[in-house]
Amino acid sequence: MSLSVEHLTKRYGAFTALDDVCFEVPPGSVFGLLGPNGAGKTTTFKCMLGLARPSAGTTLLDGAPLTPKTFARLGYVAERSTLYGWMSVREHLDMQRHDFARFDAKRAKELTDLFALDPRSRVRSLSKGLRTALSVVLAFSVDPDVLILDEPTSGLDPLNQRAVLKLIIEAAVRGRTVVFSSHQIGQVERAADHIAVLRGGRVVLSGAVDDLKAGSKIVEGTFETDAIALNGLASDGRISRIDQTGRIVRLTVGSGGEAEAQRLAEMGAQSVRVVDLSLEDIFLNAVDPARQTAGVTEGL
Amino acid sequence: MPAVFTIDPRSGVPIYLQIIEQVRRSVALRLLAPGEQLPTVKQLALDLTVNPNTVARAYRELERAEIIETAIGRGCFVRDDGTTASSRGAVNTVAAQGLMQAVREAKSLGLTSAQVRAFFEAALKRWFPEKK
Repeated sequence: MSLSVEHLTKRYGAFTALDDVCFEVPPGSVFGLLGPNGAGKTTTFKCMLGLARPSAGTTLLDGAPLTPKTFARLGYVAERSTLYGWMSVREHLDMQRHDFARFDAKRAKELTDLFALDPRSRVRSLSKGLRTALSVVLAFSVDPDVLILDEPTSGLDPLNQRAVLKLIIEAAVRGRTVVFSSHQIGQVERAADHIAVLRGGRVVLSGAVDDLKAGSKIVEGTFETDAIALNGLASDGRISRIDQTGRIVRLTVGSGGEAEAQRLAEMGAQSVRVVDLSLEDIFLNAVDPARQTAGVTEGL
Repeated sequence: MPAVFTIDPRSGVPIYLQIIEQVRRSVALRLLAPGEQLPTVKQLALDLTVNPNTVARAYRELERAEIIETAIGRGCFVRDDGTTASSRGAVNTVAAQGLMQAVREAKSLGLTSAQVRAFFEAALKRWFPEKK
């Protein structure tokens, strides 16, 4: 199923939590929603699921608004646990079986085993990570067409994080549509084919992961003096940022960087190098444009 | 698929290009023989824990580069003629890139071309002793 988030706006009094958020999730794809804390990821998910009423905008499933019937085809892992502390793992599974016609008991058993969840354990005795794991088990055991996962790896150890990623990829291989958020950008980079970055309730960057990575480089030139005439560069539309630190000039470019490298060499740079940007660099640039990119800072 | 197959999501190189690079190398080094079957898109996506569309894109481009071919319903295979033509190309590309980077780095460290040449001659002498 495809998902379209169209012009979602959510206001709480004078505070605007979401401001005209739009993105498209094609069927069978994995979509990563990134953003710093408080950027609006969870509010977006809640509006998408109809758990919060948006001030404006809609979410369409295969082009149609959400109904109780289509709601049953969604699986959701909430950021804040929706589990009951006094209930056991087994009782949660029973509740899920009762609520969802597509509940698969065999699958649920495999998944509880995968995360070594004891069916008899009460939720209040589980660690934060195992509570996340139980939410993941409940969502995946109903084999939903669309999975909406709000930080499905939070609190999990690296082994179980990898297990959740594999579940996401397995779902994608079987044609399911997945939207998930995570602060671990490496995970998003592996699992997602498309991403959107939220900052202050707005989408500041979106696109296919490979295109975003292929389309951004840093061209770095080292000059003999710090008196460098940068005026001519500002008019180049492919250069999104110009930073100068002493004798070093860094250009963030939306192209292969070869032309800009040539340019710096012609301007008298002693040495020029082109650096690939990781998704983390691209993310940091998007959420905090004033900041130096991580890759280059570490490289010095 | 050889066990050496890994990807580094932290690298700035898109994952599909990393997969292409490694298949090219494996074919060049004959870790993948002509006619050998590659894992399915689904299998490789699960093995590497990467998005299946990313793997599919890598396979499509490898097919276009005539390194692998798809037999409908049977999967992807290394082309029989792929090893000679494209793998020689792959070997040359890898070697040329390595040399290019070394020379560029030497230049950015302020070496003159005469100094670079002297280092290069010394390296040749070491690795091709019979020629000098």
